[in-house]
Amino acid sequence: MFTRGALLYIGQRLVLIVFTAVAVSSIVFLGVHRLPGDALLNERRPDPAAEAALLHYYHLDLPLPEQYVRYVTGLLHGDLGESYVNRGVQIMPLLLREARVSAEVGAAAIVFTVGIGILLGVIAAVRQNTWVDYLATTTSVIGYSMPNFVIASLLFLLFGIGLYAWTGGALYYNSGWTGTYGTFDQILIPGFALGFPYASIVARLTRASMLEVIRQDYVRTARAKGLTSRVVVIRHALRNALIPVVTILGPLVIGIVTGSVVIENIFGIPGLGKEFATSILNRDYNIVIGLFTFYAIIIALANLLVDLLYTVIDPRIRY
Amino acid sequence: MSQPVLQIKDLKTQFFTDDGVVQAVDGVSFDLHPGETLGIVGESGCGKSVTALSILRLVQEPGRIVNGQILFRGDDIVTMSDDEVREIRGKDIAMIFQDPLSSLNPVLTVGFQIEEAIEAHRKVPSKMALSRAVELLKQVRIPAAESRVRDYPHQFSGGMRQRAMIAMGLANAPSILIADEPTTALDVTVQAQILELLRDLNRDLKTAIILITHNMGVVASLCTRVLVMYAGRVVEQGPVERIFKDPQHPYTWSLLQSIPRLDSDRHDRLLSIEGFPPDLIRPPRGCRFNPRCQFRVDRCLHDDPALMNVGPDQDAACWVTMRRALAPNGELRG
Repeated sequence: MFTRGALLYIGQRLVLIVFTAVAVSSIVFLGVHRLPGDALLNERRPDPAAEAALLHYYHLDLPLPEQYVRYVTGLLHGDLGESYVNRGVQIMPLLLREARVSAEVGAAAIVFTVGIGILLGVIAAVRQNTWVDYLATTTSVIGYSMPNFVIASLLFLLFGIGLYAWTGGALYYNSGWTGTYGTFDQILIPGFALGFPYASIVARLTRASMLEVIRQDYVRTARAKGLTSRVVVIRHALRNALIPVVTILGPLVIGIVTGSVVIENIFGIPGLGKEFATSILNRDYNIVIGLFTFYAIIIALANLLVDLLYTVIDPRIRY
Repeated sequence: MSQPVLQIKDLKTQFFTDDGVVQAVDGVSFDLHPGETLGIVGESGCGKSVTALSILRLVQEPGRIVNGQILFRGDDIVTMSDDEVREIRGKDIAMIFQDPLSSLNPVLTVGFQIEEAIEAHRKVPSKMALSRAVELLKQVRIPAAESRVRDYPHQFSGGMRQRAMIAMGLANAPSILIADEPTTALDVTVQAQILELLRDLNRDLKTAIILITHNMGVVASLCTRVLVMYAGRVVEQGPVERIFKDPQHPYTWSLLQSIPRLDSDRHDRLLSIEGFPPDLIRPPRGCRFNPRCQFRVDRCLHDDPALMNVGPDQDAACWVTMRRALAPNGELRG
């Protein structure tokens, strides 16, 4: 599937991602350690001897450069250290577990975003200036102008309370996370709240792009061949219309990652986003730094994926 | 003569724009016989392309066919259902367009786009469609067709792209091929090759060709009959030798005068037609060519001429006609 040049390109990008991760964690490391107060600010103050022992346990008594070198060495070995708040909890496995939870919700969000967005966009473009178009466009303006936490609250109202009342408690959305892996409805509703605003952006872009492509000569050629309008729209128009849409997938993934901080806290999902808020409030420095590093890697990988997606959609792009 | 394969009767196609109704094609009629090569010439915006697109009902909104009949083997394309027209498109009547780069889908391979044209009308195993695509590419003289079939359009040169378009048009051995400015975007040597290819296909496959162009030279090299269009109307039609030797409509005459000739004196100025084609929302009264016509008489200003027989199998829509305009006594001038 990939040529030698493409593999080389991917290799280069992966090396760059490693550098990015180290750079991001270094900046965050220094930033966190420059904060007023220290890691034990929220703790009940133990006696000075115990405090010193604690600081020593976390190597917080060492000079900052030395701490930094230890940290980066650990990072390069895939070790993010130990939580300050929950002693003995290794951060790497913790974050990996939480990343899986976030990935489930995030994947649902992306499916909603891309699926609903492209569907609405195509329908609006094909039925331009009809009520279908106006309905699709209005829907996307609504989604576009509502923050995800407002959508989340409305979904609670609708599926948590409304559905409970309507079915007499037989069927309703119960927030919270029952296990390591969410059940279907526990993923779908937060996923929708997280993805819908971006679906609106995708819908608007797809519509504009489709309207442009549908007037292209090659779409006329396709019709002149006697292809059915479904084949013309999907195979000839949509595929070309998706090229600009792919461009915003990168920023969109960033939006979903940052949005997940809000959504996971609202829905009580034990993912990276919830940990993000908790660890900052707890001054759990190691987790904060680890999380930022995680996010940097996720976003960098997402952008690499988007760039590779281009080559799949548009054969004129080669690396 | 044999039954015409295509008959256009009083075709009117209009565009309903915000500024008004554009009468892009205004009462065009002509017949096309099996195996015939018909040229449609005229300036940009005279309705040639819209006529061609109307034949396959490919005119886009806000354009609409508002009047007339397009009889393909006796069936009226204008009143057919969408599915019936789709059956004809690419199977019985194929069309190729001006700019072969923008007319080919950039994200699909050339071979796929040809196979698709075959499979739109016949259920064939994909292997057979592929070998047919290779065969078609060979037929239009694409070198190394077996490997080029997997190329994307951007990997083809301009001439090869137009050949690929022609191959696509020929996929289902249509009885009519409509070529809309097929050589305009190509350089001269490639133009000649494409015209030669079209001529061979016409001779070997008996495909009737409607060639739309603004280039009189292209018409001369390929067509047996010519239709001259101006402002949405046919102003003159006849066999190619007659039109070139003895044009009767002043517009046809001016078009021919504007072609540079090797045997003319280098200091002779080329004749250009003054002014621009008229606004088709509010066409001029009388003969539509009258504002630009150097031979007009009073009658041209208010009386719209229809096509009249002016010679063997030759018709022109003109009150004056060149025969009289250029008469030595010049009595009709002014």
